[in-house]
Amino acid sequence: MFRASQHQGHDYIMDLLEQLSNWHFYLLGSFPRGDIGGLLLNIILALLAILSSFIFGALLGYSRLSCRPYVKYPCVAYIETVRSTPLIMIIFWFYFFLPYLFGGAITIFWSAVISLSVYASAYEAEIVRAGIIAVPKGQLEAALSTGMSRYKAMRHVVLPQAFRIMVPSFVSFFVSLFKDTSVCYIIGIVELTQAGIIISQRQPDRMYAAYLCMGIGFWLVCFSMSLVARKLEKRIGVFDLESIRPEACRDDYMLFPARKQDTDPEMLGACQPQDR
Amino acid sequence: MIEFYYEFDWSIPFQEPYLGMMITGVKITLILLAATTVSSLLLGTLIAILRISRITLFRALGTLYVEIFRNIPGLFWILFFYFIFPEILPDKLGDTLNTYRHYPIVAGILGLTVDNASYVSDILRSGRLAIPHGQREAAISTGLGRVQQYFHVLLPQMYRAALPPLGTRMVHNFKNTSLCMAITAPELTWATQNIESLTFRGIEATTIATLFYIALAGVMIALIIMLEKILRIDVSSISTSRA
Repeated sequence: MFRASQHQGHDYIMDLLEQLSNWHFYLLGSFPRGDIGGLLLNIILALLAILSSFIFGALLGYSRLSCRPYVKYPCVAYIETVRSTPLIMIIFWFYFFLPYLFGGAITIFWSAVISLSVYASAYEAEIVRAGIIAVPKGQLEAALSTGMSRYKAMRHVVLPQAFRIMVPSFVSFFVSLFKDTSVCYIIGIVELTQAGIIISQRQPDRMYAAYLCMGIGFWLVCFSMSLVARKLEKRIGVFDLESIRPEACRDDYMLFPARKQDTDPEMLGACQPQDR
Repeated sequence: MIEFYYEFDWSIPFQEPYLGMMITGVKITLILLAATTVSSLLLGTLIAILRISRITLFRALGTLYVEIFRNIPGLFWILFFYFIFPEILPDKLGDTLNTYRHYPIVAGILGLTVDNASYVSDILRSGRLAIPHGQREAAISTGLGRVQQYFHVLLPQMYRAALPPLGTRMVHNFKNTSLCMAITAPELTWATQNIESLTFRGIEATTIATLFYIALAGVMIALIIMLEKILRIDVSSISTSRA
């Protein structure tokens, strides 16, 4: 075990530089010779989970808004159950349960992807539901009153607005899901956490260096993603119900903060017919 | 009916010594929950106050904390406090921690606290932004000092405004206590995995533990909703004129 006093001979900078020789294992695992691992695997897991569960999650979130109780309550039950179960429990549950169901071994990678998708679907459902709720009811009513069918009104009026509201939430959920993929190490997936632990156990006298690299790896990806989320929030605008006053809703009602070209008088002039 | 390639034996988790493990697990989980809820609220409040401070250095410190701790998984911090923290401390203190029998629990509490506090501070900060400017002006004009302003005017309103997201965060924190199994803190998840390794009947224990987590999370949500109702102020009865 590494002790501060025994460690006086050590050069901390050299310890860290030495970790650079392991960059391949941190980033890709033992990829060309073995399975993909490391930071790349975290990203792959998070992407696969969020994409594969998107349609299911969106359906769940949409169905939760249904006025039919036999559609609504099963969805509420599913979402709330998954949301109040720790991810580690979902991972274990599928890890143990899927082989019993299929009667054969399933690779840990797919077991992790399935459990992460189940986990993500509940959160995505909540994001979709919040997005649809954030579109004012008047939009749906207006669409219906122009003679659109309910399906068409949702498809052409409400959902396009709702999806725009959801984008920043989806990006920040992706960041959170990316961090949660670190939990998959518990069933033996060699992602960044496991890679860091393996390296740290190879050199028990300077464990801190491996952990530092692990932390930096997670931090870089999450920080850059959260910067993207913040930028999107600024561009798309976080929808804020409080900022819309009732009297403003009547005429100059605007769902989103006006873009520059919408308010710029010169741009508006350019759009108008010059000569009649 | 789906055919399972497995025969369930639901009596296993209810036999000794496995029942004892499960009960100890529940106790440790509850200890982790209580300790981290309190400590992360305290630390989170401190960071939130730093982040809304007028002094640039304090604001920078608070932002630095949040940016570092929010962007690295909670699991990392739990592992960090278990494996690395005792070794970067002075020799004697580190040895004491390493040989302490319950250090996994302490490390779990520390890791969960620093992770959760960053989220709590973010939530509280947005709660501060929801308070109208007049509140602070009123506090100043009644002659309250800076500390008194926080304790009597700003903090109570911050907590009230932030209660719904704060509650969600605390439920999330409760779920995160299961991560402490990675450092062998004998909480509920660890107990189920211990039963799995002793009897190969992990799925029953895991299912029962999952039900426990769902039930306790439900109780927490119900308590938070009750608290929201108690603390709600009927805004319509107060006439406010916004300039």
